[in-house]
Amino acid sequence: MSEVALLQLIGLIVVGLGVFILLFIKGKFLRVVGFVIIVLGGFSLIALSVPQMASLPPAIETFDITKVKTADDLASIGQKIFFSKGQCALCHSIGPSESSRCPDLNGIGAKLAPEFIYESLTQPQAYIYLDFRHGGVPEEYPARMPYINKNPIALSEQEIYSVIAFLQKMSGEPISIKVEDVLRESGGGEMKVASVAVHGTSSTND
Amino acid sequence: MKNPLAKAGILLVGMYVFLKFILPQFTAPLPASLIFLYLALTFAASTIFFTMSGAGLEDFMGPVGRFLTGEGQSGIAGTARILVFLVFPLLVGWQTYTKLAPSDAPPAENRTIHPAPPGEFVGLANPFPKTQDNIMMGKGLYAAFCSPCHGANFDGKGPAAPGFNPPPANFSDPGTIAQLQEAYLFWRIKKGGVGLPIEGMPWKSAMPRWEFELPDDWIWKIIMGEYDGAHQSPRTWEEEEEE
Amino acid sequence: MKSRGTVENLQSWLPKVKHSSLSGWSVFWVLLLLPAFVWAQDAATQAMSVEYRDIPWIGSRNLVWIVAQQHLLLAGFVLGVPIFAWICEIVGWRSKEPRYDKLAKEFTKLLTSAYATTALFGGILLFLLIGLYPKLMAYLSDVFFPSFIAYCILFLLETATLYIYWYGWDALQGNKKGLHIFLGFLLNLFALGIMIVPNSWATFQASPVVLGDGTAIERAWTAMQNPTWWPVNIHRLIANVVLGGFICGAYAGVRYLLAQTKEEKDHYDWMGYVGNFIGVFGMLPLPFAGYWLMREVYQYNQQMGITLMGGFLAWLFILQAMLIGVLFLGANYYFWMGIAYRIPGSAQSYKRPILAMLVVLMVCLGVWMTPHSLVASLAEAQLMGGTHHPLLGVFGVMSAKMTVSNLMILVTFMSFIMYWRAGKQETAAWAKVAKAVMGALLAIGGIAVVVLGVWGYFVPAIIRINYFSVAQVLIVLFIMVTFTPLTALLMKSAKTTTEMVWGQMPIRAGYALVLNAVMVILLMSLMGYARSSSRVHWHIYGVMRDTSEYAYSPALGYAAAFMSLNTFLFCLLVSFIFWVATMGDKVKKGPEQGQAAEDPTKISGGVTPAMAGGAPRVGEETLKI
Repeated sequence: MSEVALLQLIGLIVVGLGVFILLFIKGKFLRVVGFVIIVLGGFSLIALSVPQMASLPPAIETFDITKVKTADDLASIGQKIFFSKGQCALCHSIGPSESSRCPDLNGIGAKLAPEFIYESLTQPQAYIYLDFRHGGVPEEYPARMPYINKNPIALSEQEIYSVIAFLQKMSGEPISIKVEDVLRESGGGEMKVASVAVHGTSSTND
Repeated sequence: MKNPLAKAGILLVGMYVFLKFILPQFTAPLPASLIFLYLALTFAASTIFFTMSGAGLEDFMGPVGRFLTGEGQSGIAGTARILVFLVFPLLVGWQTYTKLAPSDAPPAENRTIHPAPPGEFVGLANPFPKTQDNIMMGKGLYAAFCSPCHGANFDGKGPAAPGFNPPPANFSDPGTIAQLQEAYLFWRIKKGGVGLPIEGMPWKSAMPRWEFELPDDWIWKIIMGEYDGAHQSPRTWEEEEEE
Repeated sequence: MKSRGTVENLQSWLPKVKHSSLSGWSVFWVLLLLPAFVWAQDAATQAMSVEYRDIPWIGSRNLVWIVAQQHLLLAGFVLGVPIFAWICEIVGWRSKEPRYDKLAKEFTKLLTSAYATTALFGGILLFLLIGLYPKLMAYLSDVFFPSFIAYCILFLLETATLYIYWYGWDALQGNKKGLHIFLGFLLNLFALGIMIVPNSWATFQASPVVLGDGTAIERAWTAMQNPTWWPVNIHRLIANVVLGGFICGAYAGVRYLLAQTKEEKDHYDWMGYVGNFIGVFGMLPLPFAGYWLMREVYQYNQQMGITLMGGFLAWLFILQAMLIGVLFLGANYYFWMGIAYRIPGSAQSYKRPILAMLVVLMVCLGVWMTPHSLVASLAEAQLMGGTHHPLLGVFGVMSAKMTVSNLMILVTFMSFIMYWRAGKQETAAWAKVAKAVMGALLAIGGIAVVVLGVWGYFVPAIIRINYFSVAQVLIVLFIMVTFTPLTALLMKSAKTTTEMVWGQMPIRAGYALVLNAVMVILLMSLMGYARSSSRVHWHIYGVMRDTSEYAYSPALGYAAAFMSLNTFLFCLLVSFIFWVATMGDKVKKGPEQGQAAEDPTKISGGVTPAMAGGAPRVGEETLKI
């Protein structure tokens, strides 16, 4: 018996029990209980009669860096990192957005040199002004951008380069990150990207 | 007719006739699930209305109770009562049989036309500026790769279209690409039918997975050409409306 | 980090020790021991890095589901009831009517035992979470530790205040009542804090923000201020009042059914009315709060928004529409029965307006429950040309849903106004003008809501969401805030033609009250499932993935069975708490009889017309709330 059929059977039994109580039992509190279980059983039966769909998690993707051949491959890995592990999309958007809390990155790959993007990711404090307004020894305003190469996000060098490749591609620029350079950095090995790319789901409809 | 029970009965039958036979004269027939929903609401409404006051309750439920207990039922009414009691279980049995009997009809389906895209395709913007050159290039690529199914007029009536069920999307319909963002189209073109999540029923879409054939910048330009050719514009951020 | 340091250290030693054989031997021994040492460290880190534990048969996720749901529902009850009790106490204080004070006290008594049960379930939940989800809990405590401390302090304050509030009830009467009311205010203030601090943990899971460097407090504070925190706070606050009100109504309904004497019947009939009143009034702004929350979710992450509204959870909202529909119908049914039974001879004269309201409600509900993608067989789908019906498909979109939910709120509000005015005759000179103005406002408002709804199809979505939907909400709110004081003024000078009679309601009124409470509890469970499964396979959306075997989201039918089970368990728990708390009453009944006997005289007419639901006596002071 399938899960849905089993639950339907339970629902029917519960409703039947409720009807039995209402028909044959005089105790007022018990009758209220009977009424409540009819309502709850009925609700479950209705919910069981609509299309049943469970949402399965996608497979965890692992990227073998040695299989990266072209700069486009790198950019597509960067795309996944941008929207998942790198957490970039928690603040930044690509294109106008009402909700983004930080600068729009549309066209950023054309505006900025890759070295500069790399520096902004790994040393967000680098060009922040000192606070002269509050007297005493001037201190740096804290950057809102976190260090991407340190905890908790802690992207590796190759991952950061992939993201830069993705940003360049999203700006319609030729990708200037060289695959060989990235490969040399890693010396082969695996990059793990928890991704939402494969949207595997399964149906228990029957 | 003074009897509320009869009124309710007439209302239900009238509603059924209207939904099943009169409404389809003007538009497509309603699926059974929807007719059932509206009838259930009508039934609930008449129950509520007629049981509002004590007198109403007696008028409404009294005949039902008398029918069940057999109080004061004689002659034709009594015979009818016995007949109903005999026929009713048979009806239930027939209904159960038809529900459970194996049939070759596919189960009723509920396909979500625009399911949620994967995270990395939600927040993309077209990297190319909307210049005449780019649009023209997009239209040219569209003519080569897309128009066989989606039609030269962006209306989903290409020469190959009749072979598909469901039919290829009609871009000039305001319910299709005008409801979506460019990033959504990018995902659908790039990953095709097989890239759909389960609620989108990937087996029901014949859209090819174009990522093997077309580079990304072509896809972006095709999208531009589609919107321009179909006289639609992409949505800016907002809700996907499919409750 | 540590292991790399060790290796570097070893490398720096090696050249030095080459010269000395003794050192060489020691290095040899160290190297021999090293694997064992490393291995031992591995075992230690392995024990530390257990990510999930499971419980056989029921499964860890299901167990946490049940316990968390019970805890949340109880918490909703424990936070909703003080608001409810406090309002009743103030009303009783200002109107000098002891029955309100009595009602407030009766519910505060329940609070003490319910509070302990809530804390108990909270404790069980905490242990289960620590045991079953160590990875997630380690991350959350790393981020939120300072707020844990704040939560504990708030908890201590709340407990102390609750005890003083409850045990000081009789001592702080008379001119010390103000102090007691202030205590009630504090109680609700701390309760609000107790609610919003854990809300931030849950909303952080759904809408995390990037945490930069900073002190622990700064990090926790950044994490707390995530985009959906305040929408959820407001939504839950209102929902808790609704829950408190409807549970009070259900309690009164059951006691009404069980009542033996006329006094009991009168009292519980009245209490049921007050509970239903507070529940309905809380419910009216709830859809607006829900709409705001959904907007924030969409703005935060479209993918999550689409998963909720258009993706695999789309059918959940049809079920939600059904439950809300039943709730609206149940509340209105109760109002209408109140007119028919409490105001003798009025059943016939109100039949027409009730029928009109019912038809509007039903049409609205029909539109609301019509899905965009219909369930259809292959043949049916072919006739329709897809799963969208060419004509009825227009009901499936947001514009239609917003319109009908506004109309349903409006009808329910008018139902209440009608009940308020029933059995009374306005005497004020300007009554005719006022009624004409109100009628015109209602007509214009209703038409405007519909027009905006239809127009909404023809404008870009962004305009509809930012202007049209907001305008619809404002119109309905405007009608509510103008009608209430206007009617209160009218009723102040009105003369009562028919006195309200309490204790005459039929049995099904009691059942209607129980039904409403069950619907509210089910709705809260359903929305809890929606909130939780909109995160799909993430513990913390986009940041920490759920890698356990329970990462999938169950189908709606399975979830609904769990919601029903949870609702039933919660009802049992609440019944038990009520039963325990009122056990003493039966013993005390003897000496209190005198007090009970004077109640009916008070009940016939309410000084506070809206909440009392009774006819105000001419010349008495009206209290506006």
